[in-house]
Amino acid sequence: MDNIKQLLNSLHPLERKTLPHLKEGITLKELEKSTGLKEVEVMRALQWMENKGVLKIKQDLKEIISLDKNGENYKKNGLPEKRFLQQIIGKKEVKISEIDIPKAELNIAIGMLRQRAAIYLKKEGNELLAAATEQGVKLASKESLEELFLKKLPMDVSELKPEDKFAYDAFKKRSEIIKTDVVKERSVELTDTGKQLSKQKISDNFIDRLTTEMLRENTWKNKDFRAYDIKINVPKIFAGKKQHYRAFLDNVRRKFIALGFKEMTGPIVETDFWDMDALFMPQFHSARDIHDAYYIKDPKYGKIDEAVMKRVKAAHENGFGTGSKGWRYKFDELRTKRLLLRTQGTACSARMLASKNVEVPGKYFGMTRCFRYDVVDATHNCDFNQTEGIVLEDGLNFGHLKSLLKMFAEEFCQTDTVKVKPGYFPFTEPSAELFAKHPDMGWIELAGSGIFRPELTKPLGINVPVIAWGIGIDRLAMFSLGLKDIRDLFSNDLNLLRKMKVTV
Amino acid sequence: MPTITFSLNDLNQLVGKKLTKEKVSELLEHAKAEIESEEKGELTLSVGDTNLPYLWSAEGIARLFKGLLGVKKGLDKLKIEKSKDVVIVDKSVSSVRPYIAAFSVKGKKVDEYLLKQIIQLQEKFCHSYGMRRMKVAVGVYSYPKITFPVHYKATNPESVKFIPLGFKREMTQGEILEMHPTGMEYAWILKGCKNYPLLVDSKNAVLSFPPIINSDWSGKIESGDNELFFEATGTDKEAVQFAANIFAYAFAERGFKIYSVGVKYGAKTEQHPLPFNEKVKISADFVNSILGTKLKESELKSLLEKMRFGYEKGHALIPDYRRDIMHPVDVVEDVAIAYGYNKLPEFGMNTYTHGNTFPITKFLDKIRELLVGQGYQEAFSHILANKNLLYGQMNVEDFGTIEIANPMTETYSCVRTWILPQLMEILGKSKNAEYPQKIFEEGLVTMKKDLKDYSRVALVTAHTKADFTEVKQVLDFIMDNLQIKYVIEDTVHNSFIPGRVGRVIVNGKAVAYIGEMHPSVLSNFGLGVPAAAFELNLSDLFETLRVSDIRKS
Repeated sequence: MDNIKQLLNSLHPLERKTLPHLKEGITLKELEKSTGLKEVEVMRALQWMENKGVLKIKQDLKEIISLDKNGENYKKNGLPEKRFLQQIIGKKEVKISEIDIPKAELNIAIGMLRQRAAIYLKKEGNELLAAATEQGVKLASKESLEELFLKKLPMDVSELKPEDKFAYDAFKKRSEIIKTDVVKERSVELTDTGKQLSKQKISDNFIDRLTTEMLRENTWKNKDFRAYDIKINVPKIFAGKKQHYRAFLDNVRRKFIALGFKEMTGPIVETDFWDMDALFMPQFHSARDIHDAYYIKDPKYGKIDEAVMKRVKAAHENGFGTGSKGWRYKFDELRTKRLLLRTQGTACSARMLASKNVEVPGKYFGMTRCFRYDVVDATHNCDFNQTEGIVLEDGLNFGHLKSLLKMFAEEFCQTDTVKVKPGYFPFTEPSAELFAKHPDMGWIELAGSGIFRPELTKPLGINVPVIAWGIGIDRLAMFSLGLKDIRDLFSNDLNLLRKMKVTV
Repeated sequence: MPTITFSLNDLNQLVGKKLTKEKVSELLEHAKAEIESEEKGELTLSVGDTNLPYLWSAEGIARLFKGLLGVKKGLDKLKIEKSKDVVIVDKSVSSVRPYIAAFSVKGKKVDEYLLKQIIQLQEKFCHSYGMRRMKVAVGVYSYPKITFPVHYKATNPESVKFIPLGFKREMTQGEILEMHPTGMEYAWILKGCKNYPLLVDSKNAVLSFPPIINSDWSGKIESGDNELFFEATGTDKEAVQFAANIFAYAFAERGFKIYSVGVKYGAKTEQHPLPFNEKVKISADFVNSILGTKLKESELKSLLEKMRFGYEKGHALIPDYRRDIMHPVDVVEDVAIAYGYNKLPEFGMNTYTHGNTFPITKFLDKIRELLVGQGYQEAFSHILANKNLLYGQMNVEDFGTIEIANPMTETYSCVRTWILPQLMEILGKSKNAEYPQKIFEEGLVTMKKDLKDYSRVALVTAHTKADFTEVKQVLDFIMDNLQIKYVIEDTVHNSFIPGRVGRVIVNGKAVAYIGEMHPSVLSNFGLGVPAAAFELNLSDLFETLRVSDIRKS
């Protein structure tokens, strides 16, 4: 009994209106009439009650015969053959042309009547005359099976009586008098709970929505609240949130700050000088192939500090007194000013080292947009983010670099299982690659690093060792966000933006 | 990054040990290389260091492995047999392709496999180190066919005819550049040259047309040949000398005898292969200062010899097949590799440093937070865009755009100058997403006038009732929360409906446009609902706040 009470409390107003009218086998149409609710409202009430185990909605497919266009007309005005007969009965011979029946129906009527021997026809000159036979008079005097049938419609095919069947078959041969549609008919089948529930008296002393008035007047007291179906699905809302990749990068930035790194940056439109030459990458070097860049149409050349440029030039040509032979070629002072879109975040490191504000000891990181001449596909973007940085301090050596890499592995891969392998970067010596065993991804190449070459640091005015590193952040981002296609890091599909998970 | 293929069997024979694939994989770390794939006993490697072309062949890798495994340690020196063969360099090449180096090898039969290996090293070397043959190109010939001396000269492109490799008829050099597939591929190297390089023997038979193609006559080496002539031509003397060393060492590694060839420039003759015989100062102290190790001189010597350097009185002797050593630090890396990166000591950072970001970044993050709080979904777009999107679809004129000289596709052919068009594009592509659609993006735009990057935020709301009031409420919310006073002035902007667009002024500086999107713009993006938007210059706003009193609050 408690269950029934609880159930009763949980009913929605629509259900409460429908419940008293429920009985075994009642159809949706009938309920619509008896409750005065709209079809959708009855349907929703029934579905909710079905979810609550009160009833089952039975759905039958029925073939329903109903009046078609001509049928409606004939029901109102009589069948053409009947109207024909009525116009000639009691007259001797009537000219067909004088009979008031639309032309389209005339031939049908004549055909029908002749078939039943209700009329005879006679030709006189150009004119056709008609007269009723005895059979015709008889037919005109009573309602035909067809006429009776029309009045019964709509009806279910399964309920056809033999006499209906005759009319039905006859009408089927004729144009647009009747139509047969397959219709879903819903009816109610009460469960045991439903049978009990339908006997309950429905109280009025019941609160659906709490109103300010009720609160003011205390009328909510001693009343029951309708209990909600709190498990029900509610409509989705799309509120604001950060873009998934940006949120990931925000988190990376926070980590670097927490690790004691200061952020550095540089311009998107860069010179060949800062992008590559200042990094001691020779202007002819084949490693520049992998940095295939986007060059600027106009202006072609930018400005650079001549004094720094001369020192970098000397480093390329003769080592700039660093104990290096240098690259031993003629440095092109015009080419170094060529403007391009930054290809690597290391350009920012070079600028930082050359800047007056650089602190020793210092740790810097940059999260910068870089651009490469690549076809955009599932693994390449035309612009992408690089996360790179430097650590500079007197007395730093490869051992510090190793511990820095381990710290990154812990911070970004939650692991202390790492391998440091020899690597190659044009601007570091020694160079190392960090492989870390990510708990879910397995062994991944997490970072590239090394100690900047003296030919790079000295011309920029730095005389302490500089550890440089870069982290493959895109891959971690894709993994963390569950993305397979790098293009989804920047997405212009609002549905995807809305459904992306929020990483923690 | 070059990739090379050779058989594991061959490598094992060269090393003189039976190595498993796993062992090879482990040793390859010392060569900054890794196995990409294995098929029918053939390994394909990618080699990371573009400065060490000697590692782009099984011979070079075997030479390093011998040192690592202790099969043969220390400096390897080429044994060169003197010969009387000479290449005479004519002055005419000096303005085209001035340098050549040459040598010959004898004593072993070339089989199909070795032929493939030679071609592989030739291709990788000329492509990568040789900068697509421009700086250095290498030719290999059947030695017995050549009558010395050989002449290296430059001739009129139409004056000489010969049958190039891969063709059946005689062609002039000019025709080769126009019609031969290889000629067409490398024609750019000789663009603008009056005369083209040519290598002929003393009977005037053409050996090759460097750096384009060999002649069919002598330039086709075949399985069974056991005497080969090698030459490298180029624009850089050292690079040409280096090429001869790389190849001579590779042949020697296989047991060929190397015979010198004299290269005669005027009165001077150089015998090639010409060893560099270079050394670099190195000390245990210097190495220890970089690696944090405590190596003694004897240990340093042993580690260097593992990597096939020599060591002599405070100097590392550099192999002739290496040109990557410019500074002692380059040797230090080899010592570190021989020692083992993972065995090297580790040290924690010495000093504490204070981490931070830029003041404007914090400001930008606050703006983003406020917008998210207003129910706006953040977007993050490419910085590359195209002028049709930025201006054509937005009904405005170009306001100074950085265009790419060599775009890959039209879609990404310039740097964005504002963000709103990209947001409109998102709306246009997301018509099946539920409305209201409210999005924003904060990011950089770059202006042609000063080539500088500016932080902007653009925002758009689109739904049946989107209007000016709605976006002004958002702007109000931001400004109120940041306690910034602003005024809106009437303005004209063709992306917006006339009379429903304004400029936002803070401290006398115009920092934003705000308005209802013009129906023609909506239609350009295929949108069937109204939209209202603003784009705010956050760099300018931040700047004006820094100099005004408002920021103190």
